[in-house]
Amino acid sequence: MPQPAAPMRTVINALSRAPARQCARLMSTARGSQSLRTPATQWLPKAQLRHPLDQRRTFKTVEEAKSRYRSGPFSWKAGILFVLTGGGLLYYFEREKERMQAKRIADSQKGVGAPKVGGPFQLINQDGKTVTEQDLQGRYSLVYFGFTHCPDICPEELDKMARMFDVVQAERPDGLLPVFVTCDPARDGPKELKEYLAEFHPSFIGLTGTYDQIKAMCKAYRVYFSTPSQVKPGQDYLVDHSIYFYLMDPEGDFVEALGRQHSPDQAAKIILGHMKEWKGPLKNN
Amino acid sequence: MGFFGLFGQSEEEKRATEVRAGVVAPTRSERQRCWEARDNYFACLDANNIVDALKDDKQASKACGKQSAQFEKDCASQWVTYFKKWRVQEMQKKARIKELEAQGAIKMEVSSNFTERS
Repeated sequence: MPQPAAPMRTVINALSRAPARQCARLMSTARGSQSLRTPATQWLPKAQLRHPLDQRRTFKTVEEAKSRYRSGPFSWKAGILFVLTGGGLLYYFEREKERMQAKRIADSQKGVGAPKVGGPFQLINQDGKTVTEQDLQGRYSLVYFGFTHCPDICPEELDKMARMFDVVQAERPDGLLPVFVTCDPARDGPKELKEYLAEFHPSFIGLTGTYDQIKAMCKAYRVYFSTPSQVKPGQDYLVDHSIYFYLMDPEGDFVEALGRQHSPDQAAKIILGHMKEWKGPLKNN
Repeated sequence: MGFFGLFGQSEEEKRATEVRAGVVAPTRSERQRCWEARDNYFACLDANNIVDALKDDKQASKACGKQSAQFEKDCASQWVTYFKKWRVQEMQKKARIKELEAQGAIKMEVSSNFTERS
């Protein structure tokens, strides 16, 4: 193979020469700057301070010129610019990441094979008025199931829900409906719900109905609940039930379940994230 | 009793009886009072190394009789039983977590949305 050998050699030669040349250049610049620094800062009169390499700048004092040489291109202005740009970019990417995450979750619940949570219902609110799924449309709704005789979890969760609602409300007034559905229709009538919910938040919507209506509602939301069997009239009992907040979009489709692992502020942030993604129609009143 | 003695029970006592029987749901302040009584009672059980107040009933009432009476006065009786059972479960859970941590288990963040994991 005599043909490629010649070009090969020239390449090798060039490579072996290159570092040497570079090194020589480096040394010359090093020497150059060294020789420049001393006269410029110590001996030259003001007018001659302007160096041919740095003609854009004029220094008022010798000290300024000195520090300029020492710090090179890194001034406090450059530092601030760097931090601002970096911070801005970081903020942008973090926000974008969150947005995509919220969108991904919302989309995945819309598609084929997504859990069908929610649906039509007919119940009455704490004022005795009929409420159906139609009344919830046009806004996001946060649905929680519980009962007024609940010992510890529901009251804690309802306080959390009140806080969540306030945070969302501050940013998106009237964008979210907080809904409480009782799993204990036998004891929780409109009057009981009204008294109970008033202590948590004046905006809470309490829903109750007949045992069958509530059973259908719980089934639609995939909520597990069990009232103990054979309860004598007037006898006290507790109801076992699921403890998730169901976030529903303005079309009544399930978006996400928020659990006890989310703090109220985290949950509010998640809800607001979904709201920002919503492109469909909304009720404004 | 005084004046109210003539009519049996005062309004306050009537309400407390209804709460205990579970006829009415407790208000926020009534719940608060119940939780405080519960915490006092449990603190006493802790001090006496009693875990299950339902099982070790005699021991519990002997050691924490006063706190127990207050607990039963301020809470619905269903809640009293519930909290006693809850205490046993909670302590078992904590012991189990401790055991797992000692074995080098890693705490897992459980996601509540039903999306596929990617």
